Amino acid sequence: MPILRFLVRRLFQGAIIVFLVSALIFTLLRIVPGDPVRLMAGGMAPEALIEQIATEMGLRDPIYEQFGRYVGGVLQGDLGQSFVRPANGAAVGGASFDDSTRSERAKVLDLIAQTAPKTIQLALLAMVFALIIAVPIGVWGGLNPGRLPDRLALYLSSLLVSLPNFWLGIVLALLLSVKLNLLPAIGYKGFAYTILPAFVLALEIAPFIIRNLSVSVAGVMGQNFIDIARVRGLTRNQIVFRHAMKNSAVPLLNLLGVQFSMLLGGVLVIEFIFDYPGLGLLTINAVMQRDFPLIQGIAVVTAAAFVLINIVVDLLATTIDPRLDY
Amino acid sequence: MERRQFLRYGAMVGAAFAAPRINPDFLFSSARAADMRPLTFLSAENITGNWDPTSHTTLSQSNIEGFVMGFLTRAPMRPENPDEVIYELATSIREIDAHHLEIKLREGVTFHDGKPFTAEDVKATFDYGAQPDRPKQVYPGPTGSFEITTPDDYTVIVDTSKGGYGASLFIFLASYLPILSAKDVAEGPKGALTQRLNGTGPFRFVEQRGNDTVMEAFPGYFKGAPKIAGVTFSFVGDATTRMLSLMNGQADVIERLEPEQVETLEKEKSIKLSRLVSVENKYLWFRCSKPPFNDPRLRKAAAHAIDRDMIMEVMGSAGHASSNFISPIKFGYVDLPNYPKYDPDECQRLLAEAGFPGGKGLPELEYITSTGFYPKTKEYGEVIAAMLQEQGFPVTLNVMEVAAWNERLYDRPGGGPGHMVDCGWSTGSPEPDLVLRTHFHSSSKRICGIEDPEIDAALDAERNAPSLEARKESLQTNLMPMLADKVPALSLFTSVLIHGMRADVQDLFIYPDGLSDASKTTLG
Repeated sequence: MPILRFLVRRLFQGAIIVFLVSALIFTLLRIVPGDPVRLMAGGMAPEALIEQIATEMGLRDPIYEQFGRYVGGVLQGDLGQSFVRPANGAAVGGASFDDSTRSERAKVLDLIAQTAPKTIQLALLAMVFALIIAVPIGVWGGLNPGRLPDRLALYLSSLLVSLPNFWLGIVLALLLSVKLNLLPAIGYKGFAYTILPAFVLALEIAPFIIRNLSVSVAGVMGQNFIDIARVRGLTRNQIVFRHAMKNSAVPLLNLLGVQFSMLLGGVLVIEFIFDYPGLGLLTINAVMQRDFPLIQGIAVVTAAAFVLINIVVDLLATTIDPRLDY
Repeated sequence: MERRQFLRYGAMVGAAFAAPRINPDFLFSSARAADMRPLTFLSAENITGNWDPTSHTTLSQSNIEGFVMGFLTRAPMRPENPDEVIYELATSIREIDAHHLEIKLREGVTFHDGKPFTAEDVKATFDYGAQPDRPKQVYPGPTGSFEITTPDDYTVIVDTSKGGYGASLFIFLASYLPILSAKDVAEGPKGALTQRLNGTGPFRFVEQRGNDTVMEAFPGYFKGAPKIAGVTFSFVGDATTRMLSLMNGQADVIERLEPEQVETLEKEKSIKLSRLVSVENKYLWFRCSKPPFNDPRLRKAAAHAIDRDMIMEVMGSAGHASSNFISPIKFGYVDLPNYPKYDPDECQRLLAEAGFPGGKGLPELEYITSTGFYPKTKEYGEVIAAMLQEQGFPVTLNVMEVAAWNERLYDRPGGGPGHMVDCGWSTGSPEPDLVLRTHFHSSSKRICGIEDPEIDAALDAERNAPSLEARKESLQTNLMPMLADKVPALSLFTSVLIHGMRADVQDLFIYPDGLSDASKTTLG
């Protein structure tokens, strides 16, 4: 079956990508400054003890040996334990080196499983907002190439793409949450807390969709079959919604796939500003705490998500346009 | 199977998986329901993940303990009455003689798990907390250097004759040590002590939910049940995020405001500010255990190169000028006449005397500081680096995020990383040795790594003084002037703790170490 062949091929390619990403992150983490054992054991721990703990944990073995052990674990579904986070998932600071009362560390997979759904929710909502904003503007611009709507779409995209998201996040929180009291902004206690960060993310990705749509709609509208459609007596609405939009959807779909994958990894700043407890905030804390297993785990999961999203996008694209081959 | 079928089936499986996860009332469940809501406190610092109060020196976790745990006494340490002591779990503390202290305890108090509070809990707390392996080293000597006896359930006798130091040292410690349950202590490492907090305070520890520590009002609190439903204490790393939360009403109290944030919040009618001269001094720690700052002349030269008035200008309302190694609200504080002042000529004289005229021949020096926790560290760090460079010290400022700085903070064999480090030290008790002995005695020397028999002798002399008056004299005329002369660290200023809170938060008492008493607090 072609579909199975396609899936096997793409999943195999994806596995290689995930493997390479893991190897790269694993190596980089071990050559950058900052000894995680020092953070785990506490600043006052003597060097000998640091070395002893590091040796016991295998952190002084050659990198390829450590990586081999790690891959072995990942293949069995074990992404390891966080170096610093306790089982309750709190972000923590270093404890003392000889303290026998340290509590049990959290499993990386559990930490990711707790936070990933919130980030997916944020990314999906951001995508919905972005489409609501970008599709009318982009299509309108594409239907009027070189005229005012097209120029407006261009100016608006240029403006939105130039706004730094941390600034926009703070300004919108100040306006919509502090001054107008319309939405909660900080933390997460329910769906309402996703709206504002998702809106900021949407404003960040909307310009790309607007530009993509204006160009592709304008391109499609200039093709022969559109002229023929007019000769066939189809109304403008039928031409636009049944023919032009459908033909413009494939490049848009590819863009959305990439944007969605970027969103999963690109929520760092937004989640930090809004204290939104998703993968982004988890990543920032993990980096600041030199929590190697957690950083690696997030990298592996994000890379895998990137691969899967792209496979789904390719499948959808072939459904929309049967001329495309697997 | 063809691709359309594959996609259709895939979508159906996805929908079946997602359906049970949808919360039907998520869209309109109010995020702002205010009825009986708990007090929300946003902290600038994360916790350690180990609930044993003797396992850490982390301020945010001590703040949580302030809500949950009971203390023998509390010390409000207000500048107008720095020696005031309020009796809580203790009803009286009496010096029988120089080495014996009698503590009478309150009756009818229970822990949150229902266990009655008695003298065995105080004995267990002292004996356990003073063990040499406990990370929070605050006792005047290890467990073997004192003996605790309990003649009855509500009397504790502290005998320090074995250690040779005054029993009065436990008077100030009484307001600093959370009292543990003897039952929890008996369970040992990996027992209940590490898993949750169990105290006699106004709020009961419920759970740690991600970065939120959830506490609820304890109806059996011996001073009467709190008026608010509970306290939610959350770590929020970003200062702007904390401020926005306060402004939009999601947070009730936030801590460690930057001076610029104070200016913004002062204009808000719905916000009020609390400013307190704290127990925390900020220090420039010299690495005394390695060259070049193992030479006291160079430390002194560096201290004379720094104009602390300039630093105070940078700090604005977040700093309070002081000239000693402890905060003005601690026992024994005095403005030291010989505290190093800005004096470029003296700096140059000392540099030349140490063999580095004009700084020539000095190695490259690294000055490590953090950003994100203490206010203005980067800004005044740049000022200090520039002033040192002006006198010829080849200094490079290294600004790090908190975790990386924390990793490099403490002394190590052969000297810690860098040559100078910025750090504050805050201890919620008038007891000066929680700073002085912790940092300048050879047996502890946390950051500066100094080993100096003269300072050790002066520290032992003030600790072993027969009375509080004699101790004060020993501190002010012997130890403190000696430290000002040897400068193992330069205390730059005393921090002013600035909290922002919603105007409807009434009767929240904040101690100068940042701990709060919300037992009488009301909201709205």
